[in-house]
Amino acid sequence: MTEEQLNALRQQDTNLRDAIWQDEMERPQMPADLNERLMQRVAKEEKKPRRIIWPWIAAACVAGVLMIWLTPPKEADVVAEKKPKVEHPVKGGTPQIAEKKPTAPQVVETPQKEEVAKQKTTVAKRDAALLAQETPQVESPATPTAEPAHMDLAVAETAKPEPEPVLLTERDIPVTRPENYRYTPEELALMKKQANEAYLKWVELELEISKQTMEQTALK
Amino acid sequence: MLERYGHAVFAQVARLVPSFEDAEEVYQDVFVKVFKNINMYDPEKSSLKTWISHIAYNESISFLRQRTMPVIYYEDREGEAEKLSESEVEATFGHPNPETVQLIRAAIKHLPPDERAIITMFYYEEMSLKDIAYVTESIPTTIASKLSRTRKKLCKIIKMLQS
Repeated sequence: MTEEQLNALRQQDTNLRDAIWQDEMERPQMPADLNERLMQRVAKEEKKPRRIIWPWIAAACVAGVLMIWLTPPKEADVVAEKKPKVEHPVKGGTPQIAEKKPTAPQVVETPQKEEVAKQKTTVAKRDAALLAQETPQVESPATPTAEPAHMDLAVAETAKPEPEPVLLTERDIPVTRPENYRYTPEELALMKKQANEAYLKWVELELEISKQTMEQTALK
Repeated sequence: MLERYGHAVFAQVARLVPSFEDAEEVYQDVFVKVFKNINMYDPEKSSLKTWISHIAYNESISFLRQRTMPVIYYEDREGEAEKLSESEVEATFGHPNPETVQLIRAAIKHLPPDERAIITMFYYEEMSLKDIAYVTESIPTTIASKLSRTRKKLCKIIKMLQS
């Protein structure tokens, strides 16, 4: 059916038009305050602060990129772990010398011990002489112990500008490389001794075997 | 805009949405959508009234789908309405008769909402097939065949009511 035919029918269908018209007339009218309520709702929706999320997302992305950028690589972590090992002898040097400091009082105490020993009448003169001989031996290291105090300062002065940390390589680890395997002189001597013993045992066995063969041939 | 098109839009919404309170809510939703999307209105495609009607129709239909309210209407599954002759239909609708008008009014209530909307747009609002097609997101030929079918269906319902 074309539009023209339908338009003609629209004019003809009076009953249908009247029915729809009556229906529309009886339909409840729009409330007068509906538009006001609508405008209030629109105003409320405009007032609602819109949460803008995209700057937060962008900030989070930037923070993530910075975190990745600033975190050191794994190799650097290994070096950082090794750093204390490198610094240990430098730092440890001073404590070792400093630890010797208490030895100084020991040196000071030794004369007291001598005095006690001298006071003891029961101690033989030979022992006293021996003790007297020992004390210089004890005292002799006392002179170097006094030096470490100066050395401490010297080391401390030199240690103030901390040297740059030396990076450890795989070569520095002692056991992993075959070239690091070296026998000590004691080990070498023991090995020579064992070789000689083994050679002598072998000669003895050869002699026994030859003896037995001689006997067997004689019996035959 | 509200003063000019408000009443027509409310009538259109109330035609599809049975409850008065729901019609008010849908009406507000329609105009909120109109205000938000006014930049998308293209005068070359349709008039402002047709564009607003399109939004109102879609809002009402989506409201009906969301609510899933039971809607009872006549469905011509066996195609009995199509068997009616054009002269028979013309005789029912053409000859002015107050009793027939009341019967037609009762019969319209048995139509599904979309058919009721189309027939009202055509007979009451006197919209063109093109505009109705724009409002219902269809094509004019489909609207024409729907109108023809609805006329016959109404005639069939009237005959059923008479019997």
